[in-house]
Amino acid sequence: MTKKLDLLDIQGNVIRAYGRFGYPVARYVCLNVRDGAKGREFVGSISKKVTTAVEWGDGPGKMKQPDWTINISFTYQGLKDLGVPTSSLIGFSPEFVSGMKARRDILGDDGPSSPQHWDPIWQRNRETRENDVHILVSINALAGQGLDWLKTAEKNRDQAYKWFQGEVDKTKGGVVILDGHLGDNGEQFKYQDAKIVLDNGKPTSKEHFGYTDGISDPVFEGVPYDENRVKGRGKQIPGGKWAPLATGEFLLGHVDEAMEYPPSPEPVLLSRNGTYMVYRKLHENVATFDRYLEEQGSKFPGGKELLAAKFVGRWRDNGAPLVKAPDAESKAKYDAQFAAADEQGKDDLLSDFTYDDDMSGGKCPFSSHIRRINPRASLEMIHEEAGFTPLGAFLSLFLPPSWLGMFKKAGDKPGSLKVSKGAFNTPGALSDRRRLLRRGLPYGEVKDRTRDDGNHGIIIMMVNADINRQFEFVQQQWINYGNDFKAGNDKEIILGNHSLDDKFPSKAVLQVDPNSDQAPFLLSDIPRLVETRGGEYFFIPSITALHMIARGVVDPT
Amino acid sequence: MASNISGNAYALTILSPIKNSFTDDEVSYADTVRDRLQSWNSEPNSPMALVPQTYLCRYFVLDDVYTESLPGASAIDTLIDLLPFVPDSLRRCYWPKEDHLNSSYLVFSCNFHCGPNADLDGYLRNMWNTISDKIKEVWGFCHGFDGVDNADKFIDYMKKCQFEATLFFVGSNDDPLEEQLKALYLKQEFSKFAVSNQGLDTATLRANFKGFIQRVAPANLTAPTWTAGGYRIDKLVKRG
Repeated sequence: MTKKLDLLDIQGNVIRAYGRFGYPVARYVCLNVRDGAKGREFVGSISKKVTTAVEWGDGPGKMKQPDWTINISFTYQGLKDLGVPTSSLIGFSPEFVSGMKARRDILGDDGPSSPQHWDPIWQRNRETRENDVHILVSINALAGQGLDWLKTAEKNRDQAYKWFQGEVDKTKGGVVILDGHLGDNGEQFKYQDAKIVLDNGKPTSKEHFGYTDGISDPVFEGVPYDENRVKGRGKQIPGGKWAPLATGEFLLGHVDEAMEYPPSPEPVLLSRNGTYMVYRKLHENVATFDRYLEEQGSKFPGGKELLAAKFVGRWRDNGAPLVKAPDAESKAKYDAQFAAADEQGKDDLLSDFTYDDDMSGGKCPFSSHIRRINPRASLEMIHEEAGFTPLGAFLSLFLPPSWLGMFKKAGDKPGSLKVSKGAFNTPGALSDRRRLLRRGLPYGEVKDRTRDDGNHGIIIMMVNADINRQFEFVQQQWINYGNDFKAGNDKEIILGNHSLDDKFPSKAVLQVDPNSDQAPFLLSDIPRLVETRGGEYFFIPSITALHMIARGVVDPT
Repeated sequence: MASNISGNAYALTILSPIKNSFTDDEVSYADTVRDRLQSWNSEPNSPMALVPQTYLCRYFVLDDVYTESLPGASAIDTLIDLLPFVPDSLRRCYWPKEDHLNSSYLVFSCNFHCGPNADLDGYLRNMWNTISDKIKEVWGFCHGFDGVDNADKFIDYMKKCQFEATLFFVGSNDDPLEEQLKALYLKQEFSKFAVSNQGLDTATLRANFKGFIQRVAPANLTAPTWTAGGYRIDKLVKRG
């Protein structure tokens, strides 16, 4: 029997990237609980409106798509102050207990990304009790039809926020909204707003560097409305096929890719259908990005736009993956196909690919964003050295090497890698346990592309069952280091915490087809393109758990 | 070839029993040895970085052997379990005994370049000649170390404590340490050269490469190269 999730028990932001469902505007609010009892009451009243993952539809017995959604999550300090018992608290993971700031060395949040440069709200967090972020509430607002689509969305958001503020006011100081989210002119706000990037007033799915974002969000078992999206988003299985990832990679209380239940706090009712979320505010240095792209693009043989695509693994205009469209000629063919395809066909063109025919990285570089974040089956690679065949190796024990010419193999060309067949149970063995659901939206507007400062970037929220195994591993090993990709200490080009030391500048290698006579292109002196401006680790409880927290009846005994 | 030798690499395992005694301030010898070893962590570098040809090594104090579980049942155990008239006390005496050590042990596990003749003596002699003070600091609490005051006696002592185990670390081939450090240095410098000379015409490239080769001197293993035991990128390169 196919697995079916209890969608009414799971918070909607776990399963849905709201942006894709017509919600272009969001507001994130952080709260501090001053009084446990009032805090629980507040959680109770919010939980009545919390958006679940249920399927939407019109007609009898169906849940109508809401004008706005609201979701709630908690830090470790928040759960403690809301009265979750110690015997439950000790079951949460150490990184969740410590929080993002304490994990900065692992995350590479150094230099301009270090906590002293974070927004005041995140700087003050975990310094004094009164300023600790305890609760994160996120509101997403539905767009309207026609020209007023954005105004309608903003109206929906304001309506939701008004209701939410009313609930906070009812606590009479038991729960307070924290300010300190930086705005456009350095002012401090009581909320973080986020909104899709507009192009001449029209909605886009791009971020501020101009890339289409969030295409390959993982698909896992039990979500009915994701069934047609498995190709390229689930896990690669033998025979070039795809299957949804195990639910336990993203939801506690379910079996994961290792056929185990992820470590979770007791009782089961507190953790099942809940999960962890990583919230990060990432500033984008648009001027530096434009300048670097211009400067390197003038030298890069394929030109500026191909180079931009090499940074990420997708072309900026329509998101075409480099694996399918590695150069201008193939891109033109892809574009024609893309234009003629229906919705499903378009989705397949964007997402349904593997790196099997690009194991050497000649099309999609090893340090590009999508290859680092989701390597699919590309980590199972080997390089065959020149030498003897097995029989030749045996004969060489008795005979001089000069007699054994016919028992020699040439080996792969330098820089050539191929799929290591049979070494792993499944093609995705090295990446299936490192996947992340990505939520969130861009924030701010770029008013002057010649300047890095200002208030623009991405609010990224990554959902996973194990922050350490999934998010922190990807951040430390795949974004800020390159060894798993046979790329030494090269970092991921866009997100890497590139070196600030002129003596040891960051570089990345853009590989070429090892059988061609081209030389690889070396990206040198890569500047820091993205900087962390704050963030924290949160727990998103199920609806059941929310009710239990609100009633103060969490009891693991 | 002995199993603890692989090509020109040697896997040395030393188990030295620590005396069951304590110091004047009532700290056991085993704890004292561990404390001294741990104090090396706060020094600018490990004393072992001074010992020529050391690839990697590890020191620790083994207090006792680790008991993982009761031993698994054999077919006879299962049979006895099924026979109701076998008394429990009899059944228990057939369980294998748990093993314990009579004392704590200082364990030294080391991989080094031994050359084609598996030269253990040469390595240990160099070790004594470079860090004998540090050696005495920890081995001084071990059985049988009294009177070890020169390289020959140290070699004899170590061989008595040697345990043939194939504990090889991954991450090193069997070339001499100088070769490996030079190779790593060259690799780092070459990637910098490739970056800074990208796209130049052939003639300039050839001229620059000539200059590069002169500067990095591939045949000169002493300089410029990486320093042994270096762990900070800005302190790694030893200039000529």
